[in-house]
Amino acid sequence: MRLRPANHRAPSRLRRATVTAVLVLWLVIPLVPLVMWTGAARWSGTARAPQDLGLDAWHEALDAGALTALGRSMLLGAVVALIATPLGALAGRALGWRLLRRPIPPSLVLLGPVALAPFAVAMGLDVVILRLGIPGEVAVLLVLSVFALPYTTFTLRATYQSLDPALEEQARVLGATPAGARRRVTLPAATNGLVTAAGLAFLVGWSDYAVTLLIGGGQIITAPMLIGSAAAGSGNDALTATLAVLASVPPLAALAVYATVVARTTAKGNR
Amino acid sequence: MYPRRARLLLSAALLALVVSACAAPDAPGGSTSGSRSWTQILQQAEGQTVDLWMYGGDPQGNAYVDDALAPAAAELGVTLRRVPVADTTDAITRILAERQAGEEDGTVDLVWVNGDNFATGKQADAWRCGWSSELPNMTFVAENDALVTRDFGTEVDGCEAPWHKAQFTLVYDSARVAEPPTTLSGVLQWAQDHPGRFTYPAPPDFTGSVFLRQALYSISGGVDAVPARFDQDAFDDLAPTLYETLADAAPSLWRQGRTYPRDSVALDRLYADGQVDMTMTYGPATLTKLVEDGTFPESTRVLPLDEGTIGNASFLAMPATAGDVEGAMAVANLALSPEQQAIKADPGTWGQFTVLDTDLLNPSDRERFEDLPTSHVVPPYDVLARNALPELGSAWVAELDDGWRRAVLGAGS
Repeated sequence: MRLRPANHRAPSRLRRATVTAVLVLWLVIPLVPLVMWTGAARWSGTARAPQDLGLDAWHEALDAGALTALGRSMLLGAVVALIATPLGALAGRALGWRLLRRPIPPSLVLLGPVALAPFAVAMGLDVVILRLGIPGEVAVLLVLSVFALPYTTFTLRATYQSLDPALEEQARVLGATPAGARRRVTLPAATNGLVTAAGLAFLVGWSDYAVTLLIGGGQIITAPMLIGSAAAGSGNDALTATLAVLASVPPLAALAVYATVVARTTAKGNR
Repeated sequence: MYPRRARLLLSAALLALVVSACAAPDAPGGSTSGSRSWTQILQQAEGQTVDLWMYGGDPQGNAYVDDALAPAAAELGVTLRRVPVADTTDAITRILAERQAGEEDGTVDLVWVNGDNFATGKQADAWRCGWSSELPNMTFVAENDALVTRDFGTEVDGCEAPWHKAQFTLVYDSARVAEPPTTLSGVLQWAQDHPGRFTYPAPPDFTGSVFLRQALYSISGGVDAVPARFDQDAFDDLAPTLYETLADAAPSLWRQGRTYPRDSVALDRLYADGQVDMTMTYGPATLTKLVEDGTFPESTRVLPLDEGTIGNASFLAMPATAGDVEGAMAVANLALSPEQQAIKADPGTWGQFTVLDTDLLNPSDRERFEDLPTSHVVPPYDVLARNALPELGSAWVAELDDGWRRAVLGAGS
């Protein structure tokens, strides 16, 4: 990439820094009381700061099985991403490259799960799933993957739209098999889209309450269940805050990985 | 939070489910213990895993189940697994789905339940019945105790085992309320004399709803004036005065009665923040801890009413679809044992009032209850439950809540 003249960069860098600072503050300020709560052993409503500091809430969170629940949530999110990303790639490719004669009906079907309330779907489906005798754990994965599919499909449709199908043809002309062309040419070019799609699918599995509880029959106790039940009672602010902070670590880590991957691939692309 | 958003939808769908569940094949209802002896049931319970679905918003309750009840169950060879839910209706939803699917090895074995949720399940034939009356520890429960034979007017019929008692309690900050009122009409008068310092959770919140029934008793001239079973004529006769009184009081409530706290958690927060001077609860047992950890001010006190307050009991119910019946019976019986009831009644553990009649216990068991430490915030149960008033039938609850929304909500200035 050609370097722009330095005098053009200075003001835009300042502006960018300001915008970043405002954005960060906007996102961070609401989190300050949350983080303060995690270290509060006693904080009555009228006081500006906690009266007593302590890690009681952390002990309580660990006693409540927060780590196991986080592990289960992570596993759930990861498997949902593993199922929904490849399927989303197939659908995104067909839609993005206009391989279908009538793309509207499948698009509507794929968007359906986003439009429907998960609670309603969970309540309609659980009877069917029980009648079919599908084990709860498998059913949860299947249903959440369907919920994640619209996100992966439409992210990857945009990715494929930005890729030229001719690239694959050129690889074929140069002697690559169809699978080889896909694996070695298209997929590497679609990395950013794939990572974004997988991240979104992960979040669907990661944050779900209704499907995991109602379809899973309470057999998989995940982080959102602990947070939801703690938040439903009085005087649990410290515990709820601690669980929420703990639960935001994995998605933040995933975001960091994503940012790194995108930065690296973008750098590669610009080289 | 996301499960809350779904709640409205849930109630509608739940209704639909109840209706359709009635058409489902017959449940394996009725007693399953049959001619088996208790020893045989305990033998079959061994190795079973019992899933207890319970509201998870009470850390003391969670800790009691995990640290006291579950280890005791393990000694019987039963694994007790607690499934925390944000609302008990989540458990009912699951049970009704299992019931509709004809499931016989369901994933819910016990539910901590009472009131409307129990009545809903009973209407849908979703509970296993006739088992709880056969538990050996039921001999320590007084036979004529109305609180444990009927659950909000619904006959228990052995479909659930009593777990503990609760007492509706008004709470005030003695540092701000110099002369606390002594009757409910006194409370409403106090609210008008101190604009903005009192409110109640909007029904159908559990606590807001009981405040409504308490007010109905008070305004109608006492328990005897209100038939326990819902009666349209009585409702048409009594409700208008109730709503009129509450609508009159509305402009002097918090935020001039234009809005109400959405639930008791929200009211507790207003009270903790010093925005109002009174709160109310169905579980006075939790007050000691809330004061101790600084959530509520040191000067928090219970406000007894001369006419008494509404009391009820909560239960452990077993779904008709439960997969681990013997294990569930073993756990329910264990939870009723004098030892577990005394551990649970300790304010340091959970502080829930026992369902046992201590006169029926042997001297050493009775001592467990006599030795319990007292709380400086919450008086003992016999003081709180003085003149305890019975719950109205659950049909009253829905009608009163609906009427309140039409007649009182929005009556503020």
